[in-house]
Amino acid sequence: MHYVIIGNGVAGMNAANTVRNRDEDCRITIVSYESEHFFSRTALMYVACGQLSERCVEPYERDHYQRMNFTRVRDRAVRLDSARKTLELENGNPLTYDRLLIASGSVPMMLDWPGIEFDGVGNFVTWQNMDWLREKAGTARRAVVVGGGLIGIETVEILLMAGIKVTFLIREDFYWPIALDERESAVVMDHMKHHGVELRLKTEFKEVVGENGKVVGIVTGQGDRLDCDTVVFTIGVRPQTDWLKDSNIELDERGGIVVDNHLQTSVPDVWAAGDCTSVVWFNGVRRPEQLWYTSRDQGKIAGNNMLGHSEIYRRGIFYNSAKFFDIEYTTAGLVNFGLEGEQNWYMREANTNNTLRIVYLPDGSVVGFNMLGRRWDHRVLVKWIHDRKKLDWVLRHINRALFDEEFMPRFKLVPGASSREVS
Amino acid sequence: MQAGLLKTFTNPVQSRRATAWLLSAALFVVYFMFYFNIPPGMEGLAAALGLDSRWTLYGILYTIAIIVGGGFFLKRHGNSRYHRVRTISLMFFQIVFAFSIPMVMELFGSKGFTFSIFWPLKIDYFYPSNIFEYPVLLIVYAFVTALIGVPIMTILFGKRWYCSWMCGCGGLAETAGEPFRHLTSKSSGAWRFEQAAIHSVLVLAIVTTALVLINWGLHHTNGQGEWVASYAGFDAVASKVQGVYQFIVVAMLSGVLGVGLYPLMGNRVWCRYFCPLAAILGLFQKFGRFRITVKDDMCISCGNCSTYCEMGIDVRAYAQTNVSFKRAACVGCGICAHVCPRGVLKLENKWDFRQGPDQKVIKIFDM
Repeated sequence: MHYVIIGNGVAGMNAANTVRNRDEDCRITIVSYESEHFFSRTALMYVACGQLSERCVEPYERDHYQRMNFTRVRDRAVRLDSARKTLELENGNPLTYDRLLIASGSVPMMLDWPGIEFDGVGNFVTWQNMDWLREKAGTARRAVVVGGGLIGIETVEILLMAGIKVTFLIREDFYWPIALDERESAVVMDHMKHHGVELRLKTEFKEVVGENGKVVGIVTGQGDRLDCDTVVFTIGVRPQTDWLKDSNIELDERGGIVVDNHLQTSVPDVWAAGDCTSVVWFNGVRRPEQLWYTSRDQGKIAGNNMLGHSEIYRRGIFYNSAKFFDIEYTTAGLVNFGLEGEQNWYMREANTNNTLRIVYLPDGSVVGFNMLGRRWDHRVLVKWIHDRKKLDWVLRHINRALFDEEFMPRFKLVPGASSREVS
Repeated sequence: MQAGLLKTFTNPVQSRRATAWLLSAALFVVYFMFYFNIPPGMEGLAAALGLDSRWTLYGILYTIAIIVGGGFFLKRHGNSRYHRVRTISLMFFQIVFAFSIPMVMELFGSKGFTFSIFWPLKIDYFYPSNIFEYPVLLIVYAFVTALIGVPIMTILFGKRWYCSWMCGCGGLAETAGEPFRHLTSKSSGAWRFEQAAIHSVLVLAIVTTALVLINWGLHHTNGQGEWVASYAGFDAVASKVQGVYQFIVVAMLSGVLGVGLYPLMGNRVWCRYFCPLAAILGLFQKFGRFRITVKDDMCISCGNCSTYCEMGIDVRAYAQTNVSFKRAACVGCGICAHVCPRGVLKLENKWDFRQGPDQKVIKIFDM
């Protein structure tokens, strides 16, 4: 049996490990053009700013491929012929497979704006992007980052820490409205300004201005000209599935690979996992998940199902975490979904960047948490949501969910704050 | 991002480039001048400064290094209360217990005694020729702390109460050695060497102490009232072993190599591979309360924890497999939890009977 896995990211590597752990004799081939070794994409920012070395972000020792008897093919898959079970590669000979996993991940989203071909325009998603950004961090003097999400703020941080003046162009009214509310966003934005970021809110991007092939500035939607030598677009990612357009694999309107709940695609003997995969969310919407731990879980489950097992991929209650400069962020459940009748309980600890927001329904049952500053145990928060705990109970027991370093003071509710604040 | 750790891997002296080798060489020279008084020697310098011996000068320099390095550490990681308390504790024990109290005792004409150091790190606290020069209370203190205090404290709080809160070697490593913590090898080969080396030194320390004690018992007072060996052959062997231990372990491994290799192999070379007290503490730690709790399914495998672990523990291997763990080597410095960008790790003193003490067997490849 020959298993071919496209992509050695977290989904592909976990699928390969799963297959090998249960079948010692099969052939496993991993195709990747991006990197020689599996690395943690979420850690690229630390390599870019010198906090980690390139080796540090590799979760396994370098002999992993050899120990696990994986064949490595450094090439790009360009076409899939599922009828003949053949994968065409950009440079090498075609590969035939018995079972195929597509874990080709995401690529940065780019729109066809004028001027994006100039030298000095880039993204921050792939290892190659990181190399480019690291080089820019050494030479650039003034940069503009377009797009206010998580990758955007990481990019701002890298450039800023390298001593570059950075302007952060955000289309919305405040930073990251998809996950934060206005109050929380203000905490993060004040923190950014404190570090010297120039924020431009409600500002669209229009075009890149270049001279002699090099970026010299950009023009905003309002017609303002900003001088800069580097522009980084961080407006999101999209599934890397362009190469599947003329195959039989069904794609959704965003380009995500449509799979059933066993992560099998519309074609026999082909599975998909990770960022490129479009799965059904808890609310019935179909779209990619693009999180580290979901990619890992999908990789494991796809690996099991490729071996002939029948494991269903089921998403539990959503949770995630992030870090905005020095401010840690934890979220769980349904936040910013605008549920019918939802109310928000919010509090900020005095003189800190610590905030706590609890989303609850009219009957008092808690459905979501959003926290800045402190560390929280998402396992406890998820359980409370699952158990439909009431707001008053949660507020009384809130310290059970704290996960701060030792000796940190306990969370103190402001007297009187336990009355419900509506926002 | 961890402001203090930026550019760690681009700073030449922190990334094993020429300046790091030069610094290491300089440390070797200084240590040789102190330990073996090789020319130009430190005895003359100490005398010129009006000090009674080169060891007083060494103590002053060592304490200054901990104070300056401690300030540096607080600037980097002082935003965490755990690290503030821990670092101030280390500086306090160095300034008061390791430096001032012995000096004051000597001013009053008695032999200096360091209350913050125990057998077998201070192996001569069990050598009769040395310890019997102290008052009875101090003799009792030396034995009770080493044989009863150390196990109890470690079972309750883990190794950290000593290694990263009190110890002088740990004190230097955590402060002046802080910029080099990421240089400790994380390879499984280094782990195997660590287990072999540190337990060998422990056995050597126990054997040496036993030989010295037995040899002392095999002495008698002769007709002229002199304290002499009953068996000259055994006396010769015991003295030889004692001398070898003194040279290899005390002088070379804890001093010259332990500090001299900071810029090349990290700040815990002595503590990780050779310290016999750390070996004992590690054994008790495995059965004690202290462990590192891992929050399930939140790790992004970034590697900050493993990179900045000064004891070479591949913390990420546990974090990404959702395994809370106890490792004998862990000194509980808490940096792994501190630098984690997703708040996955937490140091805790907590009995947990659901998980056995031995968490070593993990599914490395099943992430």
